[in-house]
Amino acid sequence: MRYLDFKKFSIYYDPYLIISITLLSIIGLFFLYSASDGNTSVLIKQSIFVFFGLILMIILSQPDPQIYYSYSGFFLLISVILVFVAIFFGPEVNGANRWISFGFITLQPSELCKIFLPIFIASYLYGVKLPINLRNTFLTISLILIVFLIVSSQPDLGTAIVILLSGLYVLFLAGLSWTFIGSALAIFVISLPFLWNNFLEPFQRQRIATLFNPDLDPFGSAWNITQSKIAIGSGGIFGKGFGEGTQSHLNFLPETETDFIFAVIAEEFGLVGLTILIGLYFFIFIRCFYLSINARDRFCRLVIGGLSLVFISTLFINIGMVIGLLPVVGMPLPLISQGGSSLISFYIAFGIIISMASHKKLVPR
Amino acid sequence: MTEINETYKEKISFNKRLIFLYVTFGILGLVFYYQIFSLQISNYSEYEIAAKNNKNEEISVQPLRGIIFDRNGEILVNNVPTFDLITKPFFIDDPDDFLFKISSFLEIDEDDKKAFLSQFEKAKILNKELTLKQSISNEDKARFLVRSHMFENAYIGERYLRNYLYPEIFSHSIGYVGRPNEDELDEIYGLRSLNTKINFTYTNQLIVGKTGLEFIYEDILRGEFGNNLREVDARGKTLDEKISSEPKVGNNLYTSLDLKSHQAAQKAFNNRKGAVVAIDINDGSIVTLFSSPTFSTNQLANGILQKEFDELLLSEEKPFFNRALRGRYPPASSIKPAIAMYGIEEGLIDWNFSIFDEGFFTLPEDGRIYRDWKEGGHGNTNLFKAITQSSNTYFFDLAYRSDINQLKKHLSSLGFGDKACIDCFEEDQVFVPEPSWKMNKHNFGWFKGDTVNMGVGQGYLVSTPIQLAKYAYIIANKGKFFDLSLKKDLVKNEKSIEFNKFSNDDWFKLHESMVNVIEGNTGTARRLREKKNYIVAAKTGTAELVSGDNREQYSETRLDDSLRDHALIIAFGPMPNPRYAVSVVVENGESGGSVAGPVAISVLNSLIQE
Repeated sequence: MRYLDFKKFSIYYDPYLIISITLLSIIGLFFLYSASDGNTSVLIKQSIFVFFGLILMIILSQPDPQIYYSYSGFFLLISVILVFVAIFFGPEVNGANRWISFGFITLQPSELCKIFLPIFIASYLYGVKLPINLRNTFLTISLILIVFLIVSSQPDLGTAIVILLSGLYVLFLAGLSWTFIGSALAIFVISLPFLWNNFLEPFQRQRIATLFNPDLDPFGSAWNITQSKIAIGSGGIFGKGFGEGTQSHLNFLPETETDFIFAVIAEEFGLVGLTILIGLYFFIFIRCFYLSINARDRFCRLVIGGLSLVFISTLFINIGMVIGLLPVVGMPLPLISQGGSSLISFYIAFGIIISMASHKKLVPR
Repeated sequence: MTEINETYKEKISFNKRLIFLYVTFGILGLVFYYQIFSLQISNYSEYEIAAKNNKNEEISVQPLRGIIFDRNGEILVNNVPTFDLITKPFFIDDPDDFLFKISSFLEIDEDDKKAFLSQFEKAKILNKELTLKQSISNEDKARFLVRSHMFENAYIGERYLRNYLYPEIFSHSIGYVGRPNEDELDEIYGLRSLNTKINFTYTNQLIVGKTGLEFIYEDILRGEFGNNLREVDARGKTLDEKISSEPKVGNNLYTSLDLKSHQAAQKAFNNRKGAVVAIDINDGSIVTLFSSPTFSTNQLANGILQKEFDELLLSEEKPFFNRALRGRYPPASSIKPAIAMYGIEEGLIDWNFSIFDEGFFTLPEDGRIYRDWKEGGHGNTNLFKAITQSSNTYFFDLAYRSDINQLKKHLSSLGFGDKACIDCFEEDQVFVPEPSWKMNKHNFGWFKGDTVNMGVGQGYLVSTPIQLAKYAYIIANKGKFFDLSLKKDLVKNEKSIEFNKFSNDDWFKLHESMVNVIEGNTGTARRLREKKNYIVAAKTGTAELVSGDNREQYSETRLDDSLRDHALIIAFGPMPNPRYAVSVVVENGESGGSVAGPVAISVLNSLIQE
């Protein structure tokens, strides 16, 4: 069942995704309530985002994918312009210009890039013959790098990395030649020292260094990871219970509502709680996998595949950081962390995914 | 067809690549899950402890020191509660601004402000509390309390002060407490780090005995630190504090000191320089140990201005100097009973042996003259008369015939040149001179004349008031004695001096002669007779500081206070069964009988007439 037919008016939807995403969002509110120390204003604000986000997701499921195909360039252009607006006119917070303020809410336009860049690339590569020739490869990669550099200049390395990945996923799925991948990897490995010395900020190098040797900086960036590991580890099998996490409520954990909310969940609900949470995410991945395999055309395939991988990557980078396997980089736990921009961007992504999954191509008679 | 083929090829390629990525993430997911598993299951206990250590801080709780009593159960030293204004620098962002706000309604000394600012940074880093103002008045307390909502970083805490109820009279026996130095910290905390967090019970934070009994019995008095478990958040804010073990209050110290005798001593001394030591003959315990002038131990323990301290330290009166334990005085004539004992024991004299005292002794070797204090001498003089009237000539003659090494041995057996007390603070044992000492010290051989001078307790012979008291005690108790002590009921072994010739009869006669010093009509201290209603045995002494060759010279030296002779007396009573022995030295007091004597009698009166 792909759509409900109310005589002439139909609603397109995917029951599995809608139910699992709604469930995850509601559980997320529950976690956030504890992670914010029972701060109801945080909860109410997030609830409003979730409510309108879910409605937005349903709305965005309705147009035919053709619309997204036709306007993908326009959407990307708007997103990039908004990023520039943030850079030049947005408020500076902690030395970064990532936000545009609308009075009662502030939004982060770079979040939109990670949705509309892969869609635009998918539309661009829609008709390209296999294997993708060098010209198209370079054009695509140049576009990806331009958007990447713009966002990382905000600076916002976390989002920039996801944007980079989102573009590369689509390029890879569309059929990037293996020889190119091989040579690019080789060049990347060779130029690693150069990138390390010239591209990374000192604090970023520090974060990577402490990942391998936490003793280097026990009170600096390693402090966060150490406290996060203690929070997760002390959760045990069943956790300390809702609102009982000492690490999170006594402020040992940093950023409990945002980047480190996974550690709060781990501390309060233990391995059992995490397994259920990860199970829900896993269900969404599998559904997205199924939908992309069965998508109606190449464009839809690439978009569903690309966007679902953006979702997966965000999740993995966040968890990997919190459990101490990846360097610290600002990255939310998708659909759960506080913050409207990330939340809304994923609802938009899933709205588009559902649209592409539920609209069947009219077979020409 | 090609388009369909192309589409099919593309779809297969896409599927393969999507599967490739999903499998990659799947493997990565397994690695992540394994990491979570190892954190939460394999290393659970380790992280559980880490989480507990994070939020729990061990706090040492300072115990109260034990109370110090006199021998009748009177409290001499205790702890009194006081209120302090205590700050938490950890929660103070701008110390100057904080002081400004507090000063708007509380008067804070500039010194306190300076001390606060100088310690602020360190206390802030270590999250330690800092006392801003000590012993605040009830008025100030009320002023603060109504504004306390404005000061989450300060509070009024109940603390204690070490309180010396008689701050001046026990300064040299009980001593005082003060801040520990690093070695003492080490000793108190053992392996604990200097950053150990402590809940202070005392206003002065850590205190440790610095002198006197407070120092000697530190281990008994200190008590044991308790432990609190404090739950804190990452900012160091205390959320909850539970007691895991109560501090153990230090044990009380029961001393043999007698309050009334000290009060009598202070009154009798009237700020003159000197010392008095009195001993309970029953067990050798010290009942009086007083050095004058004195100082306030409360000031020393609970805060004294540097200026005032320097004044005390540099004062010519030397109030910090413990004359009772460290003052070196020639025993002068008070040594005569000891020399007499030696003469009898060695067979050089007996009670019948007499000489004709014409007022001086001539050293046969070089004709040098040694003068008696009485011009013209005492005439025909036996031992009894020599003691009662304190004939120098008799003892010059006796000493002349003595062997210095044997004499030294004898004086040593009476406690000279050795520590008298087992729990006194920094007692000076001084020495008994002998030929080898003189050679080392002055690079001169021993002259016969040196021995002659020792016969009247002058020359190189010096002793401390406590040694004189012990010597009086040994005579009073007929050669049997315990080591002196200040702690009550200390287990000690009785000691005794072995004599061959010196008999019980000799003891009796010696006591009788010393009784006559006061009770006899010709005794050197006969003026003391009316000051008491029991019988006292004594021997006076006048220690010459400058030896004048003639009377004129002597009169000149008398004009300078500090060169005047020291007045001494040793005494015991009531006779015939003495209970207390006492020694008194009054610096520059001139006359043993009329100056030191009344002090000794005052102390004995307070001890005997209860």
